[in-house]
Amino acid sequence: MAELLTPAILLSILSASVGAATIILLAALGELLTERAGIWNMGVEGTMLCGCLAAYVAMCETSSPITAAGAAMLAGVAAGLVIGFLTVSLKVDHFVTGLGFNLLASGLTLFLFRSYTAGGKPAGYATIDRWPIPFLSEIPGIGPILFNQHLLTYAALLLVPLVSVFLARTRPGLECRAAGENPEFLEAKGISVAKRQYGALLVGSALTALGGCFMMLAFANEFRPDISGGRGWLAIVAVIAGNWRPFRTMIAVIVFAVLDSLAVHAQGMGVAIPYQFFLMLPYAASILLLAVVRTRSGQPARLGIPFLRR
Amino acid sequence: MQRQPVLSVRGLTKTFGPVRANDAVSFDVGAGELVCLFGENGAGKSTLSACLAGLHSPDGGEIVLNGEPVRFSTAADAIVAGIALVHQHFLLVDDFTVLENIVLGHERGLFVNYRAAEKKLRALCRRYGISVRPDARVGDLTVGERQWVELLKALYHEAAVLILDEPTATLDLQESRKLFRIIDELKTAGVALVLISHSLAEVMRSDRVVVLRQGRVVGERATSETTPQELTRLMIGREVERKHRGSSRPGRPCLDVEHVTIRRPGGAPILDDISFSVAEGEIFGLAGVAGNGQKPLMEAIAGVLPFSSGRVLIDGELLADLDVHGIQKLGVGHIPEDRLSEGLVGDFSIAENIALGSHRDVFADGHFLNRGAIRVAAAVAIADYQIAAPSAETRARALSGGNAQRVVLARELAAASRVLLANQPTRGLDVGVIEYIHDRLIEKRAAGCAVVLASSELEDLLNLSDRIGVMFQGRLMGIVDARSTSIEEIGLMMAGQKREAA
Amino acid sequence: MIAFERRESAGWIAQAIAYLLAIAAGLLASVVLITITGADVADGLGALWQGAFGDAEAIGQSLAAAIPLVFTGLATVVAFRAGIWNIGQEGQVFAGAMAGYWMSLQLAGAPAIVAVPAVVLASVAGGAAVAALCAVLKTRFDVNEIISTMMLNYIIVYLLSYLLAGGPWIEAGSTAYHQTPLIADTFRLPELFGLHLGAPLALLATAAVALVIGRTPLGFELRGLGFNPVALRYKGVRVATTIVMAMAISGALSALAGVSEVFGINFRLRAEVLNGLGYTGIIVGMIGALNPWGTLVAALAFGAMANGALYMSVLTDVPSALVPAMQGILLLFVLGAAVLTRYRLRFGRKDGRHG
Repeated sequence: MAELLTPAILLSILSASVGAATIILLAALGELLTERAGIWNMGVEGTMLCGCLAAYVAMCETSSPITAAGAAMLAGVAAGLVIGFLTVSLKVDHFVTGLGFNLLASGLTLFLFRSYTAGGKPAGYATIDRWPIPFLSEIPGIGPILFNQHLLTYAALLLVPLVSVFLARTRPGLECRAAGENPEFLEAKGISVAKRQYGALLVGSALTALGGCFMMLAFANEFRPDISGGRGWLAIVAVIAGNWRPFRTMIAVIVFAVLDSLAVHAQGMGVAIPYQFFLMLPYAASILLLAVVRTRSGQPARLGIPFLRR
Repeated sequence: MQRQPVLSVRGLTKTFGPVRANDAVSFDVGAGELVCLFGENGAGKSTLSACLAGLHSPDGGEIVLNGEPVRFSTAADAIVAGIALVHQHFLLVDDFTVLENIVLGHERGLFVNYRAAEKKLRALCRRYGISVRPDARVGDLTVGERQWVELLKALYHEAAVLILDEPTATLDLQESRKLFRIIDELKTAGVALVLISHSLAEVMRSDRVVVLRQGRVVGERATSETTPQELTRLMIGREVERKHRGSSRPGRPCLDVEHVTIRRPGGAPILDDISFSVAEGEIFGLAGVAGNGQKPLMEAIAGVLPFSSGRVLIDGELLADLDVHGIQKLGVGHIPEDRLSEGLVGDFSIAENIALGSHRDVFADGHFLNRGAIRVAAAVAIADYQIAAPSAETRARALSGGNAQRVVLARELAAASRVLLANQPTRGLDVGVIEYIHDRLIEKRAAGCAVVLASSELEDLLNLSDRIGVMFQGRLMGIVDARSTSIEEIGLMMAGQKREAA
Repeated sequence: MIAFERRESAGWIAQAIAYLLAIAAGLLASVVLITITGADVADGLGALWQGAFGDAEAIGQSLAAAIPLVFTGLATVVAFRAGIWNIGQEGQVFAGAMAGYWMSLQLAGAPAIVAVPAVVLASVAGGAAVAALCAVLKTRFDVNEIISTMMLNYIIVYLLSYLLAGGPWIEAGSTAYHQTPLIADTFRLPELFGLHLGAPLALLATAAVALVIGRTPLGFELRGLGFNPVALRYKGVRVATTIVMAMAISGALSALAGVSEVFGINFRLRAEVLNGLGYTGIIVGMIGALNPWGTLVAALAFGAMANGALYMSVLTDVPSALVPAMQGILLLFVLGAAVLTRYRLRFGRKDGRHG
């Protein structure tokens, strides 16, 4: 392990972690919004996968990261609509819906990818560049870690306080939370629970898909089946372990991201421990985290319970 | 001193299917006046308040507010018009702060102006002497404090009419006093107040009492000109028909409950040092307004709910080491309060529900369910208990209330060879079924069973029980002999007055 | 505005119609997918049919492909009927195959009469242990079983990857990567009528699951748990124990899918032959309406689809990935249709009585 922890490598791991964290963080914030509105969306993995494929196709076609982000978010909204129709309108069990949606997304993205590449693989594209922030990125240590990142990483980090303020201080945020805590109260005030839940799902799913898009733009230049590799699930765990609070969720995300990057670096350096064990780390950590961090005080009271108007 | 009433209810009628919950109810409330709606459970008090607050729409009659007839389609309409309801079961978001609960649904624009809201709230708190932090999370507050939040919610929106639905049910004595101080303040401020209560002590503090029975107004009295005894008589409706059914001769003690206590963090205990003993061949009645500890007491004895201290014995055997199943095997049957969620599995057939709980012994044959035995038991139960169902395979969910209860009865009476715990066994059922269930309970007593019967029907308790224990806020207020007691005596104890040492 | 009224019970005709409609809608959506690829719909579906049922050999292969899906489908039935969301069939399939393979290494040289039962038992124990672990995490540590089973899927897949890629189980001197050497004859599942032992075992398992769920005290509690755990607690059922039992059985069934693929068909342990069996099993179980015999039928259909897909992708421009996409679409339509049997929908204004 000793050679793993030289300052230069540590720096590179941490810098990569912040990048890796962006993917999970975007999804986790999306899921947090959705869950606070009462929808226990288990379809994060599938939604992210849809975002990945949409971004990949858009990049291949236009080479424009902005178009890719737009396409991914549209795919996310579509995913949110499907999940919302089943959970909010049809009152199908939230877990069953999410599981079903993941299986659908896994099959459908694979099919669409194979159809898209049937006539030969597209040329692919270059991963996007970093946006170092002048001066700040030159601070030794923290500079390269925090301020030599992609634009979307800054945006994701900025979203943490924004989501926090949205939930705490704004009227729509308050109403979304009420939908997750006590929907009868909201209905008694003449406010539609379904509209708030659809809203949270659509925005949340768009963010999740944007996470998938970032993965395609910054880390991969080709789509693979199930490329999201469980990051959607890690996002769900981060929300639970973060007790449904944005900042704590971010901390859980960073734990996963560091473990994730550790695996990548260990593979590259030929550490004595087989790399597969490093790859297991985030998943093992997620179970451990849930078993150890057992505060669930922030869990919305009506999370995952379909709301039936009397 | 009385001018035009602020709120005037004219012939209000509300039906649920065949049930007339409110039948041509009329009454007035003036500014600065406290009117009490008094009546038994199910007399129509809560339906009436729900109609006034816009939660139900009445089928007939009208609500006149400041001389104008009004119609509400949502609670929000009522609040805007100036009628606020302080709910008995708090309509609050536990995870929200006090302030958030108060502003929800009354803000426009993107951002909530918390600063202005907090200022207004603090002013209200100061004025009425309520100490609740605006940024406290409601879920962390005690039950009593939540009552203040409910009240503040109404005051915040400057209600002209304030309806308080059983506000003291969850308050301790001190807090109740404080509530009445606030009520006095509100009266001075000219608010019209409607208090729904079954507590005589509170009723006597009102200006006027409107007594409801079976959805109708059966009497209206100026409080200064009436007595608790007269009000109780009006509430019950007639001199209680005392036909004590069969004199039982209690045998030796069978069920012993000693100092059973269930504490709850940050609140009054759920059960507070309950002790009593029931003999074989005796029916011990538990009187009390629903929610005063009868349910947890029954569940503690049956082993469903763990208790903090105290002990329970059956025939001298301590139940401490036994689980629900072990206690059942000692001969304890338990008819839980909510038959559909606690007593039955709705998606199971009648036969399966009969087998539930004994499916590993009585109805098992080696590793398999003894389907023959289950079929026979179900057929016997359907015949014996006159369960009206197409077959034993009918889902419990498809049964009427009475028939569902007969299924529970069939199962639990079979299990109860020593002790039967019956919690509200006749609630919501029609007269025929009630008679039937009573006969069954008396049979069980004759067979030497110790029966604990909790009911909100005082009349039934008086006729069936040998002794009656009265519960109020988790405490046993006293135990009386059913033959020598009076309905007034029990009524007073149910309303929180301790029995004078006789 | 749609209002929901819970139905007491839907007639079987209504259920059947809703089901058939859902399947028809799913097939229609699949046709749309084929059109997207630009292929001829009739050609594509024709090739799919030909590949699945074209001749005796094709039918045999379809049946063989159905065997593991029967097991993972049944694993879904047992867990979901108890209201436990075990989605770890994938990992439990792998765990079963790995435990079986490990046993085959321990018993090298043993006669078939010992070897085959030992391998089956070891794998069943492996799958059950993994699933039971998640049950204990749920009942003791309040870890949501969806998360724990899903995460263990990843962990177990990586564990196998380690064992095969440079790890202790790699085939010595082979250029093939990521697979074990061939398994000795004595450990292979015997063949009967052209199918391996897994086929009768799958039928037996279906009957056994139907028997356990319908006729035993455990199955009784399991069903009750899925409907109303509160009433069960009031009647003294030990809910935590029941959860562990249900999960262990579910895991054991998944493990049998691993055994039948590795010891019945491929005779070596490779991740590719196990991939997706667990996830497809979830769809199979749910489309089989969580009924053991319905699951058997769904598994047969899905096995045929999987088998036909290979043929179709060779013959036409439609990628074989059409099949998982089709299965996912079918699942969502069936889920939506199930609502129609549980509720009576009323369309119209929120409250008709308002004046």
